[in-house]
Amino acid sequence: MDDSRMYVFSSRPRVVEDPWRPRWSPSGRTQLKPGNIMRDPRVFRGDISSQPLEFARAPLDLETSGAVGPKRVRRKFRPRTPEPVQGRKHLEVQTESFLEELSDIPVVQEIECQTDSFLDRPETPIFIPSKTGKDAETQIDEGDLFDFEEEVRPILEILVGKTLEQSLLEVMEEEELAALMAQQRAFLERRNNQLPEVHRLQEQERRRREERERRMAEQKRALEEEKEVAEKMAARALTQQQLHDLVPSVFASLRREGYFYDPVERDVETNFFPRLVDDVQRVLQKKCRARELLDEIIYEVTQRRLEELEVLQTNASDP
Amino acid sequence: MDPVAPPGLVGFGRWAVPLLSEQLRLPRGGARLRALAALADELHRPLRATEALNAGFLQQLKVLLEDEDPLVRAKVCEILHMLAAHASGRHALLAASFLPPLSELLEDPPCRRTVYLLLSRLSLHSSGGASLLTLLPKLMKRLPEEEEEELQVLLLSLLTCCFQVDPQAALRSDAVSLLAPKLSDGALRVRKAAAAAMMALSVPMAGKLQVCEVLPAVAALLQEDDEDAQLNASGVIMFTAVTTAGKLRCLHLDVLPVLLKLVCERHDEEQIRRRRKPLVIYALRALTMLAETPEGRRLLQEQLPLLRRRSEEEEDQDIQQVLQTAVQVVTFSP
Repeated sequence: MDDSRMYVFSSRPRVVEDPWRPRWSPSGRTQLKPGNIMRDPRVFRGDISSQPLEFARAPLDLETSGAVGPKRVRRKFRPRTPEPVQGRKHLEVQTESFLEELSDIPVVQEIECQTDSFLDRPETPIFIPSKTGKDAETQIDEGDLFDFEEEVRPILEILVGKTLEQSLLEVMEEEELAALMAQQRAFLERRNNQLPEVHRLQEQERRRREERERRMAEQKRALEEEKEVAEKMAARALTQQQLHDLVPSVFASLRREGYFYDPVERDVETNFFPRLVDDVQRVLQKKCRARELLDEIIYEVTQRRLEELEVLQTNASDP
Repeated sequence: MDPVAPPGLVGFGRWAVPLLSEQLRLPRGGARLRALAALADELHRPLRATEALNAGFLQQLKVLLEDEDPLVRAKVCEILHMLAAHASGRHALLAASFLPPLSELLEDPPCRRTVYLLLSRLSLHSSGGASLLTLLPKLMKRLPEEEEEELQVLLLSLLTCCFQVDPQAALRSDAVSLLAPKLSDGALRVRKAAAAAMMALSVPMAGKLQVCEVLPAVAALLQEDDEDAQLNASGVIMFTAVTTAGKLRCLHLDVLPVLLKLVCERHDEEQIRRRRKPLVIYALRALTMLAETPEGRRLLQEQLPLLRRRSEEEEDQDIQQVLQTAVQVVTFSP
């Protein structure tokens, strides 16, 4: 037989051992030789009515056979009941009420059966093999079975709860951070809303102030200029007044000094007269020179005469 | 992502944090990394963070920030990032003066992104902005060197925070010229973030004059369809147009019709209107600024019926006020 690759048995089929062989043989071979099951005298074969009855020979133990169907186990010679043990007594019991009348001719009952023409073939009854093996009972009570769902529930609850809790807290942290940043942003926006207005007004103020200052400076400068102009005018009036008298006297002194002149006169004076004078001077000089010359000549002459005279004198004195 | 295979030993319940703290003291690198990974996992549970803070973890983490292994440093940054999610964590981090070692880590490539995220979380704290100012020079130095778009956007948002606290310091270190190339960068997100930073910078007077130079790029940004971009750009224009030079520049760049279109767009859904509310207000303020020039006033007087009709239709109180101010300025005569 194959290994249990094809079937799974609750009780494996066993080889029926050959009863005619001795269980123990002098050769020591204890291996069970499978006998031919069709030749096994224990197995009942054939039609029940054609079998010679051998039941009369061996006593049939009807009490121990539970559900005996059409098969009847053919038994071999059983040993007689042993002698009773000391202290016990065997009792013969008549099993009359359980006896059956055995006869050659079995009781035959004829039953006819005819299926209805329109009846369908009934379903084959489910083959339920007769029970073999030992009966074992077990009863599973209400809470005995290991219910995975129930057991796992607290663990799952804890796991899921912890995870959810942690994730909730993490999400809350992130939300806190996000809220902080949103608050910062909101503050920034509010600030930026008001700040440029402030700047603009400041700037406006500054511009106006500068404008005002500039105008005031201009005004001041204008005032100063006016004042200057007024002073100038006063000064001018004063000087005019002074100069008014000054002018004739100036003219008079100038005229006195001779700054106003007749150009012809001046010309005559400057050009003509010097030349004239020069000429006159030259003429006079010439005259003077002539006179000097004459004087010299005279002097020379007189000197010579004097010398001659002296010479004459000396000559005269000398004899 | 985590190259460390076996997780560190984690005790149960109250023992988790002290046990990990012990493991962190081990000199061997591998065990330390595992312990840090386990700590990072642990800190996801909400109450552990406070426990960890109470257990005095921070000093150890500070020491570990200067470890040689870059993986360890990256992990510690992640842990700090998680700690900073709580208000008490932020407070503890600021109190324990974590900023100097963190500023060293700005140079470190694997940790940089985490450090940026951490710093932006720290800025949520009430004194966070002031403490970020100490990092301002480093951050500004990093600005031209940053390549990735995401990191650029993070860095720019950090800078915006700093600028909002103290714009004068930034202006002194010449922030406008550093930010100008970012305004004409390719990616829209970078431009948006740069415009937000410019808006923060243009609050003080000196900033307004400097930002006047980059107004053409801002006007280009105003034409984009993205709402955030429009918001930031109109904010910059709003602040810069306070000065006369800014006003003239804006008129020259012809932003008036764009702003008018932004103001007069009508939407039916409540949510869209609420979202667009700051945009509408900024645009209106910018229009008010521009209406102070004679040219702008003339242009807007032609559009006056439109504005009046809009102010009648508007339900929101703030927008109505701003609209009325605008109408006042437009109809002003000396």
